[in-house]
Amino acid sequence: MSRSNQLVELHQSGKPFIIYKSQTGFDLYTDFSKKIVLNNKNIKNFLKKENKKKMKNTDLYIGFFGYELLNNLIDIKLPKQKGLNFPKGIFYKPEKKIKLSNNLNHFGKDFESGRFKININKKSYTKIFNKFKKKIKSGETYQIKICTKYKTKSKIDSLDFFSRLSKTNLAPEAFMIKDKNYSIVSCSPENLITKKGSEISTKPIAGTVKKTKNLNKSKALNYFRKNIKETKEHNMIVDMERNDLSRICKVGTVKLSKQKIVEEYKDLFHYVSLIKGKLRKNINNLDIIKAMMPGGSVIGCPKINTLNLLNNQEKENRNIYTGSFGYIKFNGDMRFNIIIRSILNFKNMSEISVASGVVVDSNANHEFNENFLKAKALIDLFK
Amino acid sequence: MIYVIDHNDSFTHNVVHQFALFDRVECDNYNEISEKKIHQASTIVFSPGPGSPKDYPITSKIYKRFKGKKKMIGICLGFQHILFCEGGRITEQKKIYHGFQSNIKVVNDKSLFQKGKIFKVGRYHSLKLQEPFKSNNFEITMRCLNSKVAMAFENQKEKIYGFQFHPESFLTINGKILIKKILSA
Repeated sequence: MSRSNQLVELHQSGKPFIIYKSQTGFDLYTDFSKKIVLNNKNIKNFLKKENKKKMKNTDLYIGFFGYELLNNLIDIKLPKQKGLNFPKGIFYKPEKKIKLSNNLNHFGKDFESGRFKININKKSYTKIFNKFKKKIKSGETYQIKICTKYKTKSKIDSLDFFSRLSKTNLAPEAFMIKDKNYSIVSCSPENLITKKGSEISTKPIAGTVKKTKNLNKSKALNYFRKNIKETKEHNMIVDMERNDLSRICKVGTVKLSKQKIVEEYKDLFHYVSLIKGKLRKNINNLDIIKAMMPGGSVIGCPKINTLNLLNNQEKENRNIYTGSFGYIKFNGDMRFNIIIRSILNFKNMSEISVASGVVVDSNANHEFNENFLKAKALIDLFK
Repeated sequence: MIYVIDHNDSFTHNVVHQFALFDRVECDNYNEISEKKIHQASTIVFSPGPGSPKDYPITSKIYKRFKGKKKMIGICLGFQHILFCEGGRITEQKKIYHGFQSNIKVVNDKSLFQKGKIFKVGRYHSLKLQEPFKSNNFEITMRCLNSKVAMAFENQKEKIYGFQFHPESFLTINGKILIKKILSA
């Protein structure tokens, strides 16, 4: 049986599985022997747990941390919010790993959905925007990302959605989770943590432009360099990520190894930097996650004050949005992304969250529309 | 030992790493200051941070307690904080610099740095020092080449220094030379 047939069979059997982008294609994880649902109490033990040395390629936990869990981990309390009661985080222990190519080729037909509704209209968005702009003028934050959410009733075939999404946008941190009562479909482009031994790196994206016939890679670089607003936002994220790595790395080892380069994807150019460091000896994975998460580029800066401003504003739980998905191997190595550009399907609802940044020279109308554009790529899958 | 007092900023650990090139550094949040460490420290550094100096009365107390007794260095909010404690007014500016690289110039011949020298530096500040400003032994030694906003002060007599810009930013060229000179002054 071919590997893609195996995938389809697995999908139809209803057994839970996870797909994560690899360098050459996708990795499929299944046959879960353990499922750990995380909460504010058990997360520390989960991260501190010593596992037997890595022997097999399935000696890892794979899953996600939601936004609320990550806030709680750094002692930021969220006010009571509306929510779906979706789990705060879930990790799985797979017993089987299969390599897949980039062509998943599973295209279902049937799905049902209503019209997506936004949780904040333009008028309220502008009000929040102007409030935050004042906070920037008074120095309480330097950059802050307002999140808007699109929701609809739906019944979808998650593998069909993920196949179609990967066809149009083969993102380097794409993943999907299909479990019995929920699924997540994501084309996240952003790596937050890559840890191998004592080496750690993070690769923030700040700046995205759509590919057109006239816009090649070098023109895209020019566009970003000339755009003062994008440049300033990017600079801020680079210094913030250097800071977060400096909390856990040896003095003098945190280096900007790629500074403001353009990466080309199927439909987009991203403005990207790569920052690396060498971990200090006594640092464990809990320390690393507390230092790096939630990923700064999707929150704003400085992190603590900005999170507090956001949390006091937002009436709805972010669930998975701006959390992190990835794995922790038994030998301690990790890979985690930032959960953006994702659809959460739970209790027959589909939920898409997006955010874009308020800096001093941004414009409410422009950012509101940019949010819609970001969501549209995912909403279009429902057509 | 250098004691860095953190004001919940996302740049403080860049400051810590930069100072750690020259001496042992300890860093604590401003509301978790250790009496033992602060007594051991030869230098106290006030970190950058959100908000304005009046939001941090604990930091003002530390400054007043150790002024003239230990070397003190303020960066961004820390710069504003020291000036605020010296009677300066810290106000909003029309043009805001966040993630901005600018040229600044040494404008005072009492500076440790050569008058007329230009540095390329990274800036993250909403607020600035409202001038005129006068306080005993304090000299404004660097200014933004374009806006003329105060970018550094030096008080050689009491060994108090401050930068409105961020010497630890990747946008500042040779920031560690600035720090080295002030630490060895």
